[in-house]
Amino acid sequence: MKLTSRSGRHSSRIELQMTSMIDVVFLLLIFFMVTASFAKTERELDPAIRVEKAAATKSRTQLEPAIVEIVGGPGRFAYKLGGREFNSPAELTAVLRQFENKSDGAFVRVPDDAPFDMAAAALQACMDAKFLAVSYVPLSEEN
Amino acid sequence: MRLSKRPSSGLQMNMTPMIDVTFLLLIFFMTVSQVSAVNKEKLPLPQQQGSQDQSEAPITININEQGDIIVSGNRLTLPQLLAEVASELGKVNDDASRLTIALRAHREGNSRTVNQVVSALEKLEIHRVRIAVENSAP
Repeated sequence: MKLTSRSGRHSSRIELQMTSMIDVVFLLLIFFMVTASFAKTERELDPAIRVEKAAATKSRTQLEPAIVEIVGGPGRFAYKLGGREFNSPAELTAVLRQFENKSDGAFVRVPDDAPFDMAAAALQACMDAKFLAVSYVPLSEEN
Repeated sequence: MRLSKRPSSGLQMNMTPMIDVTFLLLIFFMTVSQVSAVNKEKLPLPQQQGSQDQSEAPITININEQGDIIVSGNRLTLPQLLAEVASELGKVNDDASRLTIALRAHREGNSRTVNQVVSALEKLEIHRVRIAVENSAP
């Protein structure tokens, strides 16, 4: 049964105008790709945690492991290693590299009022100096 | 003056698969950027190289410049944080070595809250924490 004649069909098809949509989609795509590449990448420092009494850690200095302490007061903090103080992490790293007992690990003692930026820099310096284990030692007032 | 006759039948590209792929990429980037931002507060982190690439952690502790502890967008006190960590520990059969904790702290802040958190975690037999740093190098 023939319902419609061939001549009755529309010969012209409806066409969508895709150009503007593709423009917008590409614009969004490029925006997300560019912002994703500009986002700063996060990495991690992976220290162990050691909680020690302040008095106990002092007695350990007889063994002379690498103990980095952040010392000073508001506005002027420094890294202390043994009897020497360093203002830049680069100097600290250079001295830490000269330690021979890398397998003994390094300890970073961080008092409460020390800037966290410096604590992270001290951990990084120990890791850059190739110490096998680096420990974060909080020096809280209540300890 | 009529110079040439335009061709009536032009070459047509099939745009459908391209649009499919483009939308897929678009949705992927939008979703990924939102999911990754859920646990991470906008904090300027210490600018260091780090020792390893960042991996997924069940608990991400954010500490802002004022020393507030923020986990998954909620401000917590230290006991609340410890309860949260204890709950996560329960999920790994109290095996602290299987629990990864990421610590993200504001680089301008002091270390008081970080020290409190680290000391509290140590009491829960957690002996390792991952400190997030910002790597600006490409």
